[in-house]
Formats: sequence, C-alpha cells, structure tokens
Amino acid sequence: MRHWLRVSLHLCISLTYVLCTEASNEHFHEKLSLRSLRDGKVASTFTFTTVLNGVEPRHPETLGSKDASQHYNVFPLALGQVLREYGVTELHLSMNAGKWNYEQWGYPDELSAGTGAELWVWMGEGGPLSIEQRWDGLRNALSGLFCASLATMDEQRTTSPSMTFIPEGALPIWNRPHLLRHASLPSEHVCTENLTPFLKLLPCKSFSGIASLLNPHRLFDSDWHGMGIHVLWHPDKGVEIRLAFQSVSDPLRVSRSKRRGMCLSLKPTQSSSTKSPQDWSFRSLFNRQIDRQCPVARTSTIEVALPVNEAYSLEPSPSTVELNVARFYMTNESVPLDINFRWPAEFTYPVNPPSQSLVPLSVQRTLRGSSQAHGQVSVHLRNHLDESVQAMYLETMPWLVLFYLHTLQIKLDDAPRDDLISNISYIPSILHSRPTTLQALITVPPKATIRLTMDVTKAFLRYTEHPPDAQRGWDLPPAVIVPLVNGTLRGPAQPSLGSRIYTPILLVDLATPDFSMPYNVIIFTCTVLAFLFGTIFNLLTRKFVIVRLTLNPGCTVHDL
Amino acid sequence: MERLRRLIRRPTTDPNVARLQRRAALVRFIYNHIWIVRTLLFIGGYVWMLAIPSPELGRGTYIDENALQPAQVNTYWSWGEVHSADKYLAKLEELRDQNASSAARAEFIATEFMQLGIAAATQKYEFTLSDGSSAGANAYAISPSPRTAGNEAMVISASWLSRTGDGDGTLNLRGVATVLALADFFKQYSLWAKDIIYVISDGYMEGMQAWLSAYHETTQTNLRMESLAISSGTIWTAINIDYPGHSFSHLGIFHEGLNGRLPNQDLINSFEHISKYTGGVPVLLYDHGEPGDINALRSDFPWLPNWLQEAIHDQIHLKTYFYRAKNILRHVSCQARGRASGVHGLFHQFRIDAFTVFALPAQGPHGFHALGRIVESFFRTTNNLLERLHASFFFYIFASSTHFLKVGSFLPSAVLISVAMMFGGLKHWTDAAWHLDHLVAVADHKDGSSVGNTNQEKWIRRRRPVLNALGIMISTHALGSLLFLLATSSWWQMNNQQTFYLLFPVVLASPLIALTVRPTPPSVAPLATLLKALNLCFASTVISTTTVLNFSLAAVLAVLLGIPLSIASPSRSLPIKIGKYSCYVIAAFGWMVLTPAETSNAFWNWDILGVWFAPFVCLVYAPLMLQAGIVCLLPS
Repeated sequence: MRHWLRVSLHLCISLTYVLCTEASNEHFHEKLSLRSLRDGKVASTFTFTTVLNGVEPRHPETLGSKDASQHYNVFPLALGQVLREYGVTELHLSMNAGKWNYEQWGYPDELSAGTGAELWVWMGEGGPLSIEQRWDGLRNALSGLFCASLATMDEQRTTSPSMTFIPEGALPIWNRPHLLRHASLPSEHVCTENLTPFLKLLPCKSFSGIASLLNPHRLFDSDWHGMGIHVLWHPDKGVEIRLAFQSVSDPLRVSRSKRRGMCLSLKPTQSSSTKSPQDWSFRSLFNRQIDRQCPVARTSTIEVALPVNEAYSLEPSPSTVELNVARFYMTNESVPLDINFRWPAEFTYPVNPPSQSLVPLSVQRTLRGSSQAHGQVSVHLRNHLDESVQAMYLETMPWLVLFYLHTLQIKLDDAPRDDLISNISYIPSILHSRPTTLQALITVPPKATIRLTMDVTKAFLRYTEHPPDAQRGWDLPPAVIVPLVNGTLRGPAQPSLGSRIYTPILLVDLATPDFSMPYNVIIFTCTVLAFLFGTIFNLLTRKFVIVRLTLNPGCTVHDL
Repeated sequence: MERLRRLIRRPTTDPNVARLQRRAALVRFIYNHIWIVRTLLFIGGYVWMLAIPSPELGRGTYIDENALQPAQVNTYWSWGEVHSADKYLAKLEELRDQNASSAARAEFIATEFMQLGIAAATQKYEFTLSDGSSAGANAYAISPSPRTAGNEAMVISASWLSRTGDGDGTLNLRGVATVLALADFFKQYSLWAKDIIYVISDGYMEGMQAWLSAYHETTQTNLRMESLAISSGTIWTAINIDYPGHSFSHLGIFHEGLNGRLPNQDLINSFEHISKYTGGVPVLLYDHGEPGDINALRSDFPWLPNWLQEAIHDQIHLKTYFYRAKNILRHVSCQARGRASGVHGLFHQFRIDAFTVFALPAQGPHGFHALGRIVESFFRTTNNLLERLHASFFFYIFASSTHFLKVGSFLPSAVLISVAMMFGGLKHWTDAAWHLDHLVAVADHKDGSSVGNTNQEKWIRRRRPVLNALGIMISTHALGSLLFLLATSSWWQMNNQQTFYLLFPVVLASPLIALTVRPTPPSVAPLATLLKALNLCFASTVISTTTVLNFSLAAVLAVLLGIPLSIASPSRSLPIKIGKYSCYVIAAFGWMVLTPAETSNAFWNWDILGVWFAPFVCLVYAPLMLQAGIVCLLPS
C-alpha cells in the first residue's frame, strides 16, 4: 500500500514536471560522449543544454528599470538572474585543471581548454551602467556562484581580443555595438567546491540521468578535467545555456594502481589480471552507473566513439550506430545502465609518434632565462600539414611581464623570416593596471617549425602586490593560437575560423623580497635610519669653533 | 659632590682641547701599537678557521620549510619494482657488453621510456674544445602529471658515467636502471603536483650541461646541440642518482655546485631524514666512512705521528673534530675551486636546487629496494612544495650529514684576516705620507737627553705618487690575463711544451725590470711602500667580497695571501731580493708547473662549464702575489 502510494506520488510529480516543461518552452537536453584516445586514455564530455525558447538577452538600456519577473522550470534561476542583472548577451566561463595534450588527444569537445579559469563575455553597450561596471559586477557574482576567485580578474587582467574570441552564437542588433571582455586566471585551482555549485544548476542535480555519473571522487582523480558554462543566443531559438564537464581519465593508471591498492580513494576491487587494462566502463571510470533517468530531459544521449580498424566489444548494444559513433538513447535503454567497452588486444604504447597529427599545429611556449629581471618568450610552432597554415596568435600578458615588441623575431631554421608575421596589433601594458594584448597573423610553412622570440623584462612589484607563497612566482596565462581554416579543418561554429589551441601556462620568477624575515629587515632599516638621522642631526646642531691646541709632549701633528 | 666631580675632571680648563688631546693620544697609541692589533686579528682569524670543525661551533640540522613533511608517507615501491629495475639493468649490461655507441644507448633508453607511455626524446650534442671535441647523446623523458598545469617540474637524473674518480669511466648502470624503474613506478600515482623529468645524460658532466643549456635555451660558443623536442615548466628541484657498485652500505650526499653555489639546505636535510627513517639507510657526507675507525684516521692523516693518531682515536671529541675537519676540507677543496662535486652541480646555475645521491659501493646490505623507496618518498616530499625552497640556508658548511655551521660561525674568520690586511695596507699608506727627518734626531742625540730627543724629531710630509704603483698593479693583472688568454687558446694546446719553456721565463723575468728603479728622494714616498699599501688594500677587499660569494675560496685566499703579502718588504742585497721574488713567483705561478693535471682540469672546467676558478687565479690571485714579489725587488 505504502509502496503504491510512493509510486503514484512520483508519477504525479514527474507528470506535472513534464507538463510544465512542455508548456514553458524550456528544453533540457543531456549528452555524454566518450572516446578512447591514442595513449589509452578516455575522454568524456558531459553536456547539459537548456534552451529558453523565444527569449532575447536583456537590452542594456533597460538595466535601470525594473526587469520582468523570471519564472523558470529547468533553466537555472541563479544564473539567469545574474545574466539579466548585468545584461549579458554571451558568456563563456571555463575552469580547467591540467594541460590539454593536443598532439595525443586532438581538439577537446569544448574548445576552452586553457589551464585555470577563463571568462569571456559579449555585452551590448549603452544604458545607465558602463560596460566596466557590469563586467565588474558579473565577475563578482560568478565568483560567488561558483566559489572561484573570478573577482580577482580585475582590470589588470582584462583584455578585449575580439579577433580571436568571436561570438559563438548571434548578437542582437541594437543601436549600440557589442563589446568583448576577456580575462583569464591561470592559477585558479579547480576542484570539488566548484563542481557542487555546477551540479546545483542542473535540473536533476546529480541524482538521476547522465549527471549522476559526475562523481567528484573520480573526476578529480582524472588526468584532466574542466567545466564550462556557455550562454549564447540564437535568433531562431532563444537563449541557450550549455553546462559542460569534460574529463580525461586513464584506465591504464587506474587499473594498475587498483591492483596495487595504491589509491586511497579506491578500494581494490575484482582482480583485473585477465582483463586488458585499457577496458573501461561507467563503473571503472566514474565508480557509478546510471540508476534513474532524468525525467525532465527531452533527450538523453550517450555517444561512444568507435575505433577504426580495431577490434572491440561494446555492451549493451547501442540504439544506433552510424559513422563510427554508437548512440544510446536513455529512453530506449533499461536502467541501471553501465556501458562496458572492451579491447581484446593488450594495450601497448606507440613508440613512434603517429604520422597523422590530430591538430594542424603544435605549439611549445617557454620563458627563458633564470634571471629575475630579464627573459625571453620563445614560441615554437610546428606545422604538421603538407600545406602552409595561417594562424592567429594571441598573447594576453599581465603587466608583470613587459614585452619589447621591437625584439620580436621569427625564424625558420635559424634564418630570420619576417615575412611570416603580419597584421600585428599591439596594446602595450601599463604598469600596475593594464595587461598587454598582442595579436598577430602567423604563417607556418608546410611541415616546418618556426620559432618566435621576444625579449621581456620582469616588473618589480610593490611589496603589497605579491601573492601569498610569493616565492612560487606568477602564473602567466596561456597564449591562444587559432589556425585559420582552409577547407580541410574542422570549424565548430564559424566557417571562417578554426579551433582555438591553448598553450600551456608559464611560471615567472619575479624579484621577491624575503617575507619570512621581517624582523631582520626592521632591524636593518632602523639601523640605517638611525645612522643617517644621527649623522645629520649631529652636523646640524654642532657649533664649529677654532680651538687653539697646545700639543702634549710626545704628540706630533702626524698623530692628529 | 662638587669635590667628586672636580676629582674626576681633568685639570684642563677647556674641555674641547682636552677631548682633542685625548683623541690624539688614543690615535697615537693605536698607531704605535697597530702591529699588535694586526697580529691579534691574524691569530684570531686563523684560530677561528682551525675551530670551524669543532662541534661547539655547529648545530644540528633541521627542516625549515613546513610544506616538505619528509618521511611522512607510506611508500609502495616493492620487490616487483626491484625486479623491473633488475630487468632494465640486464638490458643495460647487454648494451655495455656490445659496446653500444652513445646514440644507440640514448635511442634504447628513449624507446624504453616510450614503451612506458612517457613522452621521450634524445638530444645529440658536441663540445668543441681547444684540444678536440667531445660528442654524445642524452635521453630524456617528461611525464606530465595529472591535473597539473605543467609549469613546475622535478628532475630525476642519472649520468652514464659515475662520479667515481670524477668520471674516470666507471659506469652508473644501476643508477640508470633505477631511474627507468622509477619512471614506470611513478606513472601509477595520480597525486603528482609537478611534472617529472627523467634525464639520462651522456658522459659525466658534458651531457647534462648540454641538456640543461638546451632546456633553458642558453647558448655557449663551443657547444652545438639539438634543441629539445619536448619541454616542461620551471624546474625547482633535482636529484641525481649515482649507483656504481653492486650493493651499497651508505648513501653519500654531494652538494657543491659550480662556482661555489650550494643547494638549499632543506633539500638535503629532508633526504637525510627520509633515508634514515623511511629507507633505514645511514647517510654520509661524501663517500668516506664515519669516525671510529683507527685505520681510516691513519689513512686520512698519515702525517700525524702514530701515538697522536691513537690518542685522537681514544678521544671522542678529537675524533669527531678530525672527522669533521676531513668533511670540511673536502668541501673547501671542492668549493674553492668552483668545481661541482657531481652532475647535480650544473643545475644550480639555473636556480634549481639539486644534489647527488651516491650509493657507496659495498658488499651490502642495501640495493634497489632501499634506494627506490627513499627516492619515492623524497619525490613525494618535494612534490609537496608550494613555492621554491627558500626558507632554509643557502650559505652553510656541512660538518657531517646532520651537523652544519651557519654563516655567522665561519664567515668572520676570513673577514678578520682581511681586516688585518686592510689595517696593514692603511698603515703603509699613512707611513708613506710622512718622512722622519733623521738629521734633527741625530743632532738631538748628541745632547744626550733621552726625554727631549723625540721632541726635536721632525716629521716631513711627502708626496705619494700612486700612478706608478697603480701602473705596476695594472700591468701585473694584464700579464695575468695575457697568460690566461694564452693558456685557453688552441695555439697553446698545440705547442704546449715549447711555448711553456719559451714564454714562462720571459713572463716571470719581466718584473725584474723593477730592479732598475732608482730610489726615490726623501720628498717622495718610496714606490715599494705605496705598492705594498695598495696591494694589501686590494687583496683585503678581494677577500672580504669573496667571503659572501664563495667562502671556501675566500678562506683559501686568506691563508695564501694573508701573511705572505703582509711580510713582503724590500731589502738591500740583490740575492735576497731575487730569493724573495722567486718565492712569490713560485707561489703565484708554481701551480702551472707543479700540478699540470689540476691546471688542465681547471681550464677544462672553464671551457665547458664556465667555472670562474681558472680566470680568477690568473687574473686576481697570481697578479696579487706577483705584486708582492715586485715589492721585494723595489728599492726601499
């Protein structure tokens, strides 16, 4: 009887929920795509898309007046309020941990793969509040919403590289133009305190549906993980919000350490000696399976990329298979669902690098020089294709590192080739306030490596400007390279531009005082001051007179 | 009260006059007894130097950086990993038996890394030396750590040649095998916060120098190398593993870097801690045994008489003193020459804290099992670092692996000597300005009154023309640099013997021109006094500046220059002049003849590694000695 009551209650609630969502033009879609990578790792991408049909971003002119009340069923209210409060048209926030390995893993599904936090926003101009005020408020609001230090991305880190970060959706045509604000915070550590607010934005939280696989214990044990919040507007659809979580896990490492019982978070489970360590399943990747479906999701899809020319087995059998992608539609599948992917062959690491590269360009960026005053930024760009590639190169460098643009050199096989760089746009930094923006168009000849170098000086900071753990140095944001598409490369949303490639971040050593010794410093400073004061005071107050001296016996002038 | 004050007060009416007179009297007293002050300073300095090994001056080591937390983790390195290290060793021994070339070895090692799933590459390099060239190939691998930005890195390295006999050809196969097995083992941890770089460098020092230069993209004129195909972030710490024997009894620590640089002490202290508590392996400073063995004492100090050796052995304090003295002497001999005591020494120039772990060859009881666990735990410790090692000391002298001296307890010894020399120089400078007119004094002597004669003495001020003295000094330094340029040129290397016999006498005899200098009139200060004054002041400045850069070098300079420069004086007879001069010349340039191996080694270190010792000796030390020699040649 009691059981029957509970079931009917559930049914009731679900039904009202579904009816509500149907009625309110809010659609929620969830998708998980998984693919095995060259080095035996597995990349998984969770995408949760909510579309608010027929809604336009708030016009900045209306910011002073009272906004229409917001009633959402599945659209996250917390985020919606922030977006409307600051009149945001398009927003991209990503918080990643780790270095995305483009050579081995190809492009990520969500392109923002730079280490640390990155926020870029397109906002319409005009209205009672200036862009800067709204950008400032937005950062602080998001900072609170996601428990991240986004508020520190102040004007010292804000740039506007609109050639590289073009909008993914459309911008409404208002009487004033839209402007870009971009900032990145490479030293932001991303962990479970950021995931919890992320999960709260989902209609089913992590209780049911695909989101139930988001197990922090396993996600934060992966090789790379990143979460992204993307808000865009399509004129035909409305406002779309896409919450994405990506991770790269290493079944080989996990199975090995499981066997040894080395991971504290894992209990050694079944003996895996008979199993190829490259195999994965929801259990092995996330230590969970999908027990319930999310009732409000319109579509709930799991995509598994299938290997080409290799044996594999996939369990249970997918709903559809097309073009090397197996799809599972949750509505067709029985719960609990645990997808098992098996490789019959034992995995061996490729000894020779594979001939076909997954990205057109590979980038290596280093900061040379162990001095605390000077250095040199050096970027190596290698073209893997048989045709020359044009790429947009962007540096958004905090003022801590000052570029000397006249020392910019581009070399091909140690021979200077200034013709390979063009369209340089440069906004120099201002000490203690504005970062540098450097954008340039670079041409890389086929199958060649070019080297770009530029001398830099490292700024001398005020002692209050040093961060905690000052001896660590400062993290510098990644450079962004966008290879321009010439027909063969994948362009995600725009036909004119390829996908962004983020370089690894850098660590710079600045001259750092010894903060652990204030006592010595105080003593030393006081001594110097007392000495100076004493000498000058003495000279000022002394009366100079002539003394007639009769020498004592035995005393000579020499002795004086 | 008033009476009391009157008693204390001097009877002089004007207090200012009294004060000036008091001051004059004091200055006169110090001036007349400056030799006592100087002698005391010299004695104080040298006694302090002798006291450096004494246990009272040092203190026990301690961990300063809280983040390190050494020996606080469970280690998982087990016999399975030892087996994999053994397998790697077998493969490496096969390579050795095949007499594989550098390139083949590097290729093999890089392939092994790649089979572990770690990105690896090789790097070929070639040094062009004045007497030929030296080429080789390094293998390295970079393991990106999960969820890290890849802007910090730790290095674990092993050179192909062991440091035994300064790279005399003993192979470091077990060290290389340890690194390979550790690479496999470290991969299964997900907790690394920094990238781990594995470097198997070719040769002894050359390979690592080429690798580090390529990593930091520095250029060196005599080095051609491939740039690195893969790269990581800023390296903070590095450990170099040297395991030449079959088993080991102790782990020895070598920490001196190029040009006297030392790693942060925390690094070594944590290793010592971990080795003791996690690995159960005793740690030594360098590769010689602990005190307690009479035979060790006999072999270390063979010049001590037998009864004294036994007496020392019986006295625990003396025994400790001599053990520490031996450690400190090794440290000084290494640091003073600016030489790295192992491959780790090359890291310091790029602000990387590094040291070498030397597995002391013995019949047992330790092997891969202990070493692996210790290095694992050590890497977990350095992995904890949130910032660069900065809390502990960079200026220190290790007396033993658990005792060290802070800078304040050894630095003043050399400074005292340099102060004594400065006083000497200033005394000579003042003396040069005054000339006692003897005629007056002699006339007074005739009166027979012993009280009044000094009263009648007349001091005459005289000129101190420094240009000549400075000219001599500059020309000696020019001579030194000429010698240095000659010695580093390829022409010298080709015609070593002939040049030597041709040039040396010319170079050494040229200062004999000083014999032709005429005595100066009484109204002008003699050149010898001026030269000596400037020479002493300059030498003193050099020593006191060097103390804060490289204490060992400063101490050696203080010993070599302190008294010899102070006692240089002109004399009347020619044979004594020549005799004195030859003594100084031998002290200045004798090393070229007496220790040819050492000399060529110093020049090699300058050529390849940029060690400043050879130019320093040629440009600073030898000219200073030569100036003292010239003082002896000049007329008084």
